[in-house]
Amino acid sequence: MMPGSHATSPERFGSPILRVSEVSGLICDLLDDPRLHQIWVRGEVTNYRDHTSGHRYFSLSEQGAGRTAVINCVMWRSVASTLSFRPKDGMDVLAWGSVEVYEPHGRYQFIVREMIPAGAGERHLMVERWKRELEAEGLFDPGRKRPLPVFPRRIGVVTSSSGAALKDILSVISRRYPVEVVVSPTAVQGEGAHTEIAEAIRRVDGLVDVIIVGRGGGSFEDLFPFNHPDVVRAVAACRTPVISAVGHEVDTALCDFAADLRAPTPSAAAERAVPERQEVLRELGGYEERMLSLVQHRLAAAQNDVDDLRERMHPRRLARRVHERMQRLAEMEERLERAAFGRLQRERSDLAELRTRLDAQNPLSVLERGYSIIEADGRVVRSARDLRPGARVALRMKDGRANAVVEEITYDRDF
Amino acid sequence: MTETFEEMLEELRDIIRKLEDGDTSLEESIAIYERGALLVKRCEDLLAAAEMKLTELGRDR
Repeated sequence: MMPGSHATSPERFGSPILRVSEVSGLICDLLDDPRLHQIWVRGEVTNYRDHTSGHRYFSLSEQGAGRTAVINCVMWRSVASTLSFRPKDGMDVLAWGSVEVYEPHGRYQFIVREMIPAGAGERHLMVERWKRELEAEGLFDPGRKRPLPVFPRRIGVVTSSSGAALKDILSVISRRYPVEVVVSPTAVQGEGAHTEIAEAIRRVDGLVDVIIVGRGGGSFEDLFPFNHPDVVRAVAACRTPVISAVGHEVDTALCDFAADLRAPTPSAAAERAVPERQEVLRELGGYEERMLSLVQHRLAAAQNDVDDLRERMHPRRLARRVHERMQRLAEMEERLERAAFGRLQRERSDLAELRTRLDAQNPLSVLERGYSIIEADGRVVRSARDLRPGARVALRMKDGRANAVVEEITYDRDF
Repeated sequence: MTETFEEMLEELRDIIRKLEDGDTSLEESIAIYERGALLVKRCEDLLAAAEMKLTELGRDR
């Protein structure tokens, strides 16, 4: 047998030979049918197992009239964590999702995006429909959320006046931060409760600074009115910020999505509605300390400035400054005197010297030594040849003069 | 006392900002400190005097 040779012969099969991936692709195309996407499927859970990864694998099956139909299902971790119940084998459920092909295993499977027990199916489906409608209206838009007031003066509470929720809320508020609480009472479950809740919300809106809408835990049926569009729209329409607290922890109601804040329980809602008085007092104490230390610091700095100035203006210091000045003045005076006196001395000695020199040159000084000067016609006679006999001359001596007449002249030979 | 608690706290924070600012004069510092101390007292009194008051709305408008 040589299957290989047969297989490669198109004529043998009368049609082209496809690769696996081509066949798989065709199946994908076939399953890409709107009738298999975003559909609700009802069936019984079988082979349910929690994988360690958090993903869930199970089958939905249907038995009847001697035949069994099974679809393999996968629920990813992110979806599984939002389930409001714990699926078990044998449970009748409604699953919402799409059929897809997993090519590596050659399997088709139903990817489950939501799942609810079929018993509660009708109402659940109704809530799902409302959720989509209200979401489409934009009532769940995160941009609509408003901040809660930090120090509300009045808290509105929309709940049953006899329920545990109101007791819890009042106990938290009286302990943390006592303020005025305005209760807008309403039935919270049963036929027509939704109309009453919506009415109670509208009645208290605008009278208070923040509204808590809620009730304690209960079954899906008990919480059902808080899913009703009347309630959701009343919450969304509030001028006053709203905290929604329906049921306990895992429970959610549509009015949670429309509220400005969702609290897991009524007590938690009360805690979010008011601050803790002790914390506020501590904060105030901190402010007071800070202010005091700032002002003390400021005062100390000012005191410093004043001390500085006073020190600079102190009389002793002033006197010292005056003394300093006086001393400097005295020094200058001394220098001036010294300078002036020195000059005088110098000039005196110069003068004495000059006089000595002058004295030495004084022609009259020879008279002291017994010489006489002869003058004729007012001029000094230096030579005998300047004279004639009979000339009148004057003799000048140290202590007087005498007039004389020249009698005779002799000349020294040498001249 | 017409201011709300928030307004008083906001004014207190303002006062601290001014006290921290070196440009505020000494006279003003002292004046606003006195104001601040008064505000702290008022806030504390308000908190100390707070008592829960319960009123219930009638179901009919």
